[in-house]
Amino acid sequence: METLVGLNCSTVECTSPNAPIWQDILAQAVTGELMAAMNYASLSEICDNPAEVADALEHAQIERGHAARFAAEGRKIGVDVPNNVDAKHWKRLREAFLGCITERDFIGCLIVQEIMLESFAVASYARVGKVAPGSLGTTFASIAAEEEEHVDHAMAILRAERALDPQRFDDKVYRLHLDVMTTLAKMLAKECKDGHCEVCHASCVKPALFDVRLSAAELRGASLQQYLKTLDMLGIPGELTLAWVAQLPV
Amino acid sequence: MDVDFALIGHQESWRAAADLLAVLRGPERTRLPDDEIRDILPWIPPRAVCHVEIGSIFDTQIGDTTIGNTKTGGAKARGLYIDSFIPPDRLEAAYVHENIARVRAAAACAIKAGAKIVSLGGFSSILIEGNFDQLPERHATVFTTGNTLTVGFIVRGIKKMCTLEGRNLRSSTLLIVGATGDVGSGCARCLAPLVKRVLLCARNLDRLRKLAAELEAHGVQVEVATDREQFSAEADLVICAASLASPSLLLGRIAADAIVCDAGYPKNLSPSAQMPGAKIFFGGLGQITGGLSFAPDFHGILNRHPFPDVVHGCLLEGMALALDGRFEPFSQGRGFITPERVAEIEAIAARHGIYLAPLYNADGPVQDAIVCETEWSLAENPHPSEAWVGHP
Repeated sequence: METLVGLNCSTVECTSPNAPIWQDILAQAVTGELMAAMNYASLSEICDNPAEVADALEHAQIERGHAARFAAEGRKIGVDVPNNVDAKHWKRLREAFLGCITERDFIGCLIVQEIMLESFAVASYARVGKVAPGSLGTTFASIAAEEEEHVDHAMAILRAERALDPQRFDDKVYRLHLDVMTTLAKMLAKECKDGHCEVCHASCVKPALFDVRLSAAELRGASLQQYLKTLDMLGIPGELTLAWVAQLPV
Repeated sequence: MDVDFALIGHQESWRAAADLLAVLRGPERTRLPDDEIRDILPWIPPRAVCHVEIGSIFDTQIGDTTIGNTKTGGAKARGLYIDSFIPPDRLEAAYVHENIARVRAAAACAIKAGAKIVSLGGFSSILIEGNFDQLPERHATVFTTGNTLTVGFIVRGIKKMCTLEGRNLRSSTLLIVGATGDVGSGCARCLAPLVKRVLLCARNLDRLRKLAAELEAHGVQVEVATDREQFSAEADLVICAASLASPSLLLGRIAADAIVCDAGYPKNLSPSAQMPGAKIFFGGLGQITGGLSFAPDFHGILNRHPFPDVVHGCLLEGMALALDGRFEPFSQGRGFITPERVAEIEAIAARHGIYLAPLYNADGPVQDAIVCETEWSLAENPHPSEAWVGHP
């Protein structure tokens, strides 16, 4: 795995029997945050308005900060936290975002990053924050809250966009849902049916999540619930989004 | 789209939930495995599942507008079915706060959709009937538990079973289990003057005594008990207005050939080897004769009955009121159902072709469909009886 940004991790002996589990959870979180930073950096390149450019770059910096905080939590429990934005699922998510960049589709970018990926992050971090010990739990909970806050900013833009042409907007969300949420659903499946995710340091962490009072089913459920609630806030009819989610792979 | 009514319900079995999700996934995708459904369903926020359209057998005048139905020439009303996604295995008291929150969220969906009237189906009305203040701010939306029409159909069902079985209502002893609830007390007020003796059973003795005093003031012979074993007489008519943990709780405490109306939710009484002579039927169900359609098509999924277009009375109440253009909270609170109110809602329902459904139980129909009160013929119905997929 490649370290994309210097997190200055030092290898320390593990101090907790669950440290390898937290290491994998942190690795997924750091990878997600780094990918979000890359996405915001890419977004800044298609923004016309200087304020939007500054906003996107600021978000990129915030996401890098989140990655660094997660890595620091790893060091506290004595593990190096790797990352791999080229892991197969994460790479596909990045490609979906870059597709919107290529089309200079600012709204599409917000839908992918803020509605789909952030729903996943906010819900997962919040669940982890409830069970993780000490500062690890506090960090997950506080980053979940920060992510939720900046979703609010994007929601205002997206609601205004939907008001212009609801049908066209909903069609766009559905098109992106098919690509992005199908990939996320595979990542969130109770078992990784497509082989190793290329982020976990050894075998898949999912079966071991019970040891830290988590489960893959719970993380998936919470993520899909957050996604549905976010789509509700955009005003997309509930019966439509229910069918979208029901059709996802398990 | 105008939303005349909204129906709030939930799936009463995992099988029903699986069927609902299978329709949403579409025929080209495999059904979700049972374990996945059990994992996913509790996380789904309450939301609309489908659009519902109903027809009346008559035109309705709302203001200056006459609303007609292309199929029957009568009025039409459009609505939404909103599922609270209460997991079928979480109906017990331990989940009451979680479930009230789900019903509140479902109510918020109905309000957001601009529904003029909302019917609270089955367990939703049980949760809310004494807690209407817990519903969200309602704006122009009104809510009804639908319990008055449910009582109407239970009472009609009892009368019809007596006729079918050649029983004399006047010489019967009626036992009501769950007598102090809204439905149970409504049934007591309607049937007590028509039978020889009434046995009222519920958990709260104070409420039982209050109801008994009300009935006795009208010259009715009443006994109350919190335990069915304490009654001095055997009942030959039974209304279970509360779900029993086990049908065997009735064993030895009712006549061997008693007529038993399962009016609880979910319905869990079935003809059994232990009570071979009992005549059990599911009460509180009505049938729409002016047309009922779902988009997407959930026929046989959302209404899992052996006869077409059969719906719980609690949901039909809101539909009937919508067809009549009467957007009012007809049934609210607990203990206000009277014979006069029952007659009023039955008249409204009948005006639009909504009648008592043919009687059935877990084994299927208990009467020939042709003799049903509505003279409804299966042959004339566009929806085949194969929609029957068994009661959970």
